[in-house]
Amino acid sequence: MKMRLSLAIASLAILVVHGFVFYQQFFHKWENYQQSYFDQAKTLAKNDAEKETFAGRSPKIEQIMVTQFGSERVDRCTTCHIASDDPRFLNSPHPYKTHPYSEALGDKQVDGRWERRHKFSDMGCTVCHDGQGRGLTEFYAHGEDEFWNDPLMGYVTQENWRADFKDKLKGKEFMEANCAQCHTEKNFKATPMVNKGRELFQSKNCYGCHRIEGISNGTLGPDLSDVGKKWKIDYLHESIVDPRANSATSFMPKFNLTNEEVKALTIFLKSRRGFNYAETTLDRYRATLKKPSSNSAMVQPTEGNQPTTLNTDTSANYGGQLFTERACAACHKLGELDGGIAPDLSFEGLMKDEQWLVAHFKNPRSLVPDSNMPSFGFPDTEFKALSAYLLTQNKVPPTGNGQEIYQNLCLRCHGEKGDGHGMIATYLDPYPRDFTNAGFMSSKTDERLTASIKNGVPGTSMPSWAKVLNEQQIKDVLTYINQNFTKETRTDIKQRDVPEQNPVAMSPESVTRGESIYLQRCTGCHGRKADGKGPNSLDILPRPRNLLNAEFVTRTNDRRLFESILYGVQGTAMPPWIDYGLSKDDVGDLVNYIRNLNKNKQNLVAANAYVSSH
Amino acid sequence: MSDKHNAQEVESGEPVSRRKVLAWLTSMGLFGSAIVSIVSNLVFIKPRATYGKPTRFAIGTPEQFPPGTRIALGDQKVAVIREGDKMAAISVVCTHLGCIVGVADTGFACPCHGSRFDQDGNVTGGPAPKPLPWYELSLAPNGELEVDKGKEIESGKWFTV
Repeated sequence: MKMRLSLAIASLAILVVHGFVFYQQFFHKWENYQQSYFDQAKTLAKNDAEKETFAGRSPKIEQIMVTQFGSERVDRCTTCHIASDDPRFLNSPHPYKTHPYSEALGDKQVDGRWERRHKFSDMGCTVCHDGQGRGLTEFYAHGEDEFWNDPLMGYVTQENWRADFKDKLKGKEFMEANCAQCHTEKNFKATPMVNKGRELFQSKNCYGCHRIEGISNGTLGPDLSDVGKKWKIDYLHESIVDPRANSATSFMPKFNLTNEEVKALTIFLKSRRGFNYAETTLDRYRATLKKPSSNSAMVQPTEGNQPTTLNTDTSANYGGQLFTERACAACHKLGELDGGIAPDLSFEGLMKDEQWLVAHFKNPRSLVPDSNMPSFGFPDTEFKALSAYLLTQNKVPPTGNGQEIYQNLCLRCHGEKGDGHGMIATYLDPYPRDFTNAGFMSSKTDERLTASIKNGVPGTSMPSWAKVLNEQQIKDVLTYINQNFTKETRTDIKQRDVPEQNPVAMSPESVTRGESIYLQRCTGCHGRKADGKGPNSLDILPRPRNLLNAEFVTRTNDRRLFESILYGVQGTAMPPWIDYGLSKDDVGDLVNYIRNLNKNKQNLVAANAYVSSH
Repeated sequence: MSDKHNAQEVESGEPVSRRKVLAWLTSMGLFGSAIVSIVSNLVFIKPRATYGKPTRFAIGTPEQFPPGTRIALGDQKVAVIREGDKMAAISVVCTHLGCIVGVADTGFACPCHGSRFDQDGNVTGGPAPKPLPWYELSLAPNGELEVDKGKEIESGKWFTV
């Protein structure tokens, strides 16, 4: 009996499920919308003929096929928004509401009747609004589905977008990014946000690192030519305001931008989709004929960093003009201007000479291997002018007692608390020294610390202060650092038995032995490439030394390398390898291996030898 | 068990046994869902939307077609004709083998096999078996004329502007 009852219940349940599926599949909201529109239109009809046309219509899927914008678009938006071109519904609620008429869009009023500049039957809907044209439910059509790449621009935010900036991604100005797909003119007046973003791209020095076809040639960061096609606006926004959110190792700075500026940049980037709808395939083909070297889809002249007429002026005045034009102060500090990202250039003339500056401009990483300053592709004359300008910045800054010196000169990198977390520290590699690390500070002699201040640390952002501070001032600032940050009375440093010169002669065999020891012992932190980026390196502060830093390695004597390897570096993760069974000969092999890695760069270092003579 | 039931049945005077009610309910559920699924499968045979140009499209305002106009719209394969206040949309696809007929003031002529039609699309010569169909023409609320190729109307049924 129970069996029969449960069978009956089960079969009725199946019927209910079938009925539900049937209802879901064959009764749609859009049918109700259309029926309701027909009914309303009939009551609004002025004559019988008009009434009759609406009476004769029954709900069906309305679609617009558009082939002129890239791949074929099928826009079924008018299935629900059926009154979008019926001017009588201007004040109705969605989805009946008429698409607004606007002079900004080019719509014109003729004889009291509006005429659209962009006819829906020609353009479709998604080319301006985004969203999923084929969708027939609100969820899919508006692109609320997180897997749809183009949600309704400026109106729909997807469920998984970060809550803290979801509301910043709303507003119809985001749609300007789509206007710019066809209206690619540089100052098209209907897309103010795109224009503003384009200006910011230059004035915030984005162009230095990023390439955008036809606009810039940066190589340090990702190519942004089709970034709008690849990413949604939430990702673009996030990458600007929080560059490390997605890639922990990103060294893109967090620029000081207002909300409005971030929005403009986001819209500008979203408009970079790598194609231009205004061009036909024929135009594109002709463009490739003109420039055989590039298969570009954009026929735009390169702006900004490549002047059409080469200015051969190398004067400091012109350099000063370039300094402003090229937006150096987007990162650097100079006088009142401060980007808050890169070192202070206010007394650069006292620290560097022309040769160093020009070489550094051409390729910053030849002198500071982990620098995140881009190699700008400016002509040599401009580098000379910029260097000349920087050399005029040679006024000795106000100094005073140890505390004042520290606050004026050291704070920007080493930080208020002396812990190496200054304002720009995150953008420097290696990090500024942490003075509160008593283990390190106490294990170094006064001579060594004084020398670091006086001569700078080659291959890093620590400059030579010899022309800015005299012996007494260096002493004062060291005392200040020791008393306020290190807070440990200095004891005598144990003299260690370390050879002055590497006792193992440089030879291919020695290098091979050194390599095998290196691969066994050192790769965990210093990395297989010896670039200081081994698997453990991210957990360690201070970070392991980049052993490919030729400036540093070549200028460091054998004694210091021996001491660091054999007895470790106190206050860091470098252990005393003498305790782990490395003999002096092994260390000699390692030193030979490390020196051999930088052998090919020695000419470069020799060319910059004057730096150490300062 | 069944004895007990029969006894209950007799007592209550109920003519239908509980077992029968359950069997009836079960079969109703199963047959019902079978019918629903057959119906939904049949409905699926006809697609709700197909790719291709929509059958209903706008051709412009009546002012764009002054009286005396007889022009063919190439993309949509329709001739728009206006005589005074009366307008019509006539197919330009020959009813013989589907060539595009030429539009002239005197009528239509097919270049393939020489079919001829008069001004209203009626056959006057050649192999064409049927007159050219007329399509429904209406004025949309935004002031543009719309042709619905999904709706053929009888020849000579003019739309008055």
